[in-house]
Amino acid sequence: MVVLVGLWEVVVRSRVVDFQFLPAPSAVARGTGRLLTSGELVANLLHTLQVTLLGWAIAALLGIGLGLLLGLSETAWRYSMASIEVMRAIPPVSLVPVALLVFGFSIRMELTIIVFVSAWPVLVNAIHGVRGLQSELLDVTRTLRFSRPATIRKVILPAALPSIVVGLRLAMSLSLVLAVVAEMIGNPSGLGSALIRAQQALRPEEMFAYVLTIGMLGVALNTAFRFLSLRALPSLAGDPGNAG
Amino acid sequence: MTEPAVASDTTVPGVTTVPGVKTVPGVDRTHVRPACECRNLSVDLESAQGTQRILAGVDFEVGEAEFVSVMGRSGSGKTTLLRAVGGLLDPATDSTVTFHGQPVLGPPDGVVFVFQNYAASLLPWRTVEKNVALGLEGKVAKAEMHQRVAEALAMVGLADRAKDYPWRLSGGMQQRVQLARALAMRPRALLMDEPFGALDAMTKGALQDELQRVQERTRATVVFVTHDIDEAVYLSDRIVILEGGPATVAHRIDVNLPRPRDQLATKELPEFLRLRRQVYDAIVHRDD
Repeated sequence: MVVLVGLWEVVVRSRVVDFQFLPAPSAVARGTGRLLTSGELVANLLHTLQVTLLGWAIAALLGIGLGLLLGLSETAWRYSMASIEVMRAIPPVSLVPVALLVFGFSIRMELTIIVFVSAWPVLVNAIHGVRGLQSELLDVTRTLRFSRPATIRKVILPAALPSIVVGLRLAMSLSLVLAVVAEMIGNPSGLGSALIRAQQALRPEEMFAYVLTIGMLGVALNTAFRFLSLRALPSLAGDPGNAG
Repeated sequence: MTEPAVASDTTVPGVTTVPGVKTVPGVDRTHVRPACECRNLSVDLESAQGTQRILAGVDFEVGEAEFVSVMGRSGSGKTTLLRAVGGLLDPATDSTVTFHGQPVLGPPDGVVFVFQNYAASLLPWRTVEKNVALGLEGKVAKAEMHQRVAEALAMVGLADRAKDYPWRLSGGMQQRVQLARALAMRPRALLMDEPFGALDAMTKGALQDELQRVQERTRATVVFVTHDIDEAVYLSDRIVILEGGPATVAHRIDVNLPRPRDQLATKELPEFLRLRRQVYDAIVHRDD
């Protein structure tokens, strides 16, 4: 990493490659400093973070709720499977213009896109978690004479949890991507929109500052999620299929 | 023992329950009352080729505190018979399955399965003791639950691993946990589907002896499905051999070896060797 950055600095400064708008790392650092002191970067970061988390939370609730319903009810599953497959196949970005038209330049438009896209992995993983339950465990609950609610609470839900956690993690990274895309095209606030404005103002060092910020935000969200999920569910660590 | 009123309209031929007469378990062996009984049991299962009849008109009975092994070539319906006895599947309409005189319409109270695949039958997110407590939660008081869990774990020699997660234990220990979970229910009957089939020979022997001791203590009825002839002869009072497709009971072989049995001494008895050969011939038909 350090070597790469050093190489980049040398190559740009020595004009071995000469792009008009490729800043050297030192310039990017200066740009970042400027954005930090003016408070712009923090404000945009907070906006994107807030929208990502809010959208992710709504997607999680929707996905888990519907996923459990579809996983547990054979009828609900049969009637909705086809629609789910079709709707899931829509490329997320193609929804941005639609949402823009319906909701205008607003936070609602951003949230709608995030929720619509990130709910899928949660939903699908919840369904698979519930339906993928090993039949042995169901035999166990039957021979121990569990009621249906006890079976769901004590066996089906905990068994589906690792799969749901995987879905939640996928949804987290999707939420950030979709938040940035929505901001670039639609909602005029947040990191995505700041990135576009920096581009239009021909300030490459600020663009790179925002790109780096988005990347670091992604890493931070992922790390935080892993930390918290292992904290909450220590048994995930022991389950070899769900480590990492 | 008084049977609840339901028994009156479901009298099965061959079952003689004498009201008012108390039998002391293990003493009056001449009137062993049937614990599990199947009459004319037929089972159809869905398969890729459509509905298939697995069992046809099986008559099968296991006395109270008796240890019966079910054998037969693979695909002969051993597991299906066990599942029907335990109420895990619905038999064809003209079949009768009873447990202590009561018709079996679902898993009966007092019957607990022990499955072959111990790893898939334990809950990996629960500790050993919580796995053992699984069937008792919400059904008995907390104090009694803890006491019964501790007792069951002591019986299988796992008292010191109570707080461990099952995936930290060896295969043999995991199967002991499953056995403890069944024992904590204080079952009248244990239905065991090749419980030691996936274990190495040494572990298998140790668990066989443990099961023997546990049965001695609890007087539980055991129906035991196995592929292993030595194991069946070593453990059983009687061996039932299924045959044919759809399967029926082809042989019933009484095992009158002295108890308690011993891995070396019992297996050196001429009677053990004779039974072993008899069972082998019955399954394999060497004279065909």
